[in-house]
Amino acid sequence: MRTHHFVETYEKHIALSDNPVTWSWTGLLLVALVVFPFATSNYLIALATTVGIAAIGAIGLNILTGVTGLISLGQAGFLAAGCYTTALLIADYNWPPELALIAAGVVSALLSLVVGVPSLRLKGLYLAITTMAFSFIITHFLLYAESVTHGPYGVRIEDLGFLGLDLASPIQLYFLVLAVAVIAAIAALNILRTRVGRAFTAIRDHDIAARVMGISLTQYKLSAFVISSFFVGIAGGLMAFQFRFINVDIFNLLLSVEALAMIIVGGLGSVAGAILGAVFIVLLPEATREVIDLLPTGITSMLSTYIYEIRGLLTGLTIIIMLRIEPHGLIGLWRDIKRYWTHWPLSV
Amino acid sequence: MSALLELRNVTRRFGGLTAVDNVAFDVPEGAIYSVIGPNGAGKTTLFNLISALFQPNEGTIEFDGHQIHRAKTHQLVDFGIGRTFQNLAIFSHATVVQNLLVGLHHTLKANPLTAALFWGPAQREEIAARKRVEEIIDFLEIEHLRDMPVGLLSYGLQKRVELGRALATGPKMLLLDEMVSGMNSEETEDIARFILDIREELGVTVVMVEHDMGIVMDISDRIAVLNHGALIAEGTPAEISSDDAVVQAYLGKN
Repeated sequence: MRTHHFVETYEKHIALSDNPVTWSWTGLLLVALVVFPFATSNYLIALATTVGIAAIGAIGLNILTGVTGLISLGQAGFLAAGCYTTALLIADYNWPPELALIAAGVVSALLSLVVGVPSLRLKGLYLAITTMAFSFIITHFLLYAESVTHGPYGVRIEDLGFLGLDLASPIQLYFLVLAVAVIAAIAALNILRTRVGRAFTAIRDHDIAARVMGISLTQYKLSAFVISSFFVGIAGGLMAFQFRFINVDIFNLLLSVEALAMIIVGGLGSVAGAILGAVFIVLLPEATREVIDLLPTGITSMLSTYIYEIRGLLTGLTIIIMLRIEPHGLIGLWRDIKRYWTHWPLSV
Repeated sequence: MSALLELRNVTRRFGGLTAVDNVAFDVPEGAIYSVIGPNGAGKTTLFNLISALFQPNEGTIEFDGHQIHRAKTHQLVDFGIGRTFQNLAIFSHATVVQNLLVGLHHTLKANPLTAALFWGPAQREEIAARKRVEEIIDFLEIEHLRDMPVGLLSYGLQKRVELGRALATGPKMLLLDEMVSGMNSEETEDIARFILDIREELGVTVVMVEHDMGIVMDISDRIAVLNHGALIAEGTPAEISSDDAVVQAYLGKN
């Protein structure tokens, strides 16, 4: 147990962590993330890049759904908006990729105002359906406004550079995504520890009390939508960099559901939880494949036939198990373990 | 003493029911003012009108030069009105400190962008806010509970945190809706002492809805009595306790 520990200044009270051990572990994790791509295959680097992009999106969704309590099934729509903005601006309008990425966040954030305004009067399931409908409208637009979006032909972007990085190289793209993910995590953590984040939580926990405390529901619900969608839009822009050929097919309802699964499995309302959830949901199918490959050949070939069904089944099963045994998600599990460890041998 | 809060002919109807019927009274600055009445008399509706959660169908409510009957709920704290609720309205997952910090919301300025950067003024105001919270914790004697999730505290302490959160808004007037209901006599005395301290040390006017006649008669300067939405008496505790209409409303006709 941590003893002889005294907080002596208000600065320390509001620090993200006043524990040097936490800071050292965080530093070590960052070093590991920087060293990792030099010691592995391009396949694993690409996988890690996908995890990073998913984490940025999950951090965004978590601000809206986990922290402010506004359930959104429209993530695919915001992601598509960001992805297409970046791809089209680069492919058709010759924008520099740096600006095109920021534009992805801005366009997605502006679009969120369109769905945010009706959300002021909607809650729970009704809001979920509204956001889902919005996401369908976006993908329909992308599919049928052929003169602007290339419709069913998709958008291809050629090899591109970003602040001197060559994004055709998996390792350099990985570093771009890592940098953006770290910035996103820090920005989200900072927002959550100031008046803005407290206003979001207040709206989720008791909206009448929040109003009486001077929090304007209109202003802060819309802020939550805008901030969240900015993150998601940026994630979409990075997806354009990774795929370099994009098509509207991947932005389906399942993607929105997976995004929700990430923050539920990871831990609602927690930035670290969103990251853990993204890691888990992205790696689950990969891990499944690895395990199947280890089995005797006969079974492997039989299971391989049904690989997509098995993956879907496992994702669903994981969500149900998590909700049943640990509603606070992976981050809750981690906190329990930590508590057990610090109080040992007095822990129960 | 001049009037801080002025109600003029305030009426609020819900369908066919007139919850508050043509009510008028003045709350003098610096007073402890109680609103009493049997269940369903319209006390909480009156409070919701004063805190702009509802708007009156008729009449005006003025506070310190502001027209409450036209205001939005979230503007109240800017005018200088803080309130607590009859049924707890705290953020039960959050810690005591976090709850009190929400009360300071309107005194801070950070927007999402400066908050994300957490640099310069945004950081300095958070430090100042944390310090201010410590003063309130000290005032309410809850130092040992600072980092407890409020949901884990006893009912009396949760009420105290809610009182602290209302105080954190820096009010000129506090609206306390049945603070001591469900409290034992010791907790009730604590709250009575805090209410007196809030008036004496912080100079805050207190308006309370209360069922506990002990605390009402002991600490109120003036009392308004509602029955079926109408004001049936208004005056000092001594006047109220000898008023025929009040005795009739509470005990029935002899």
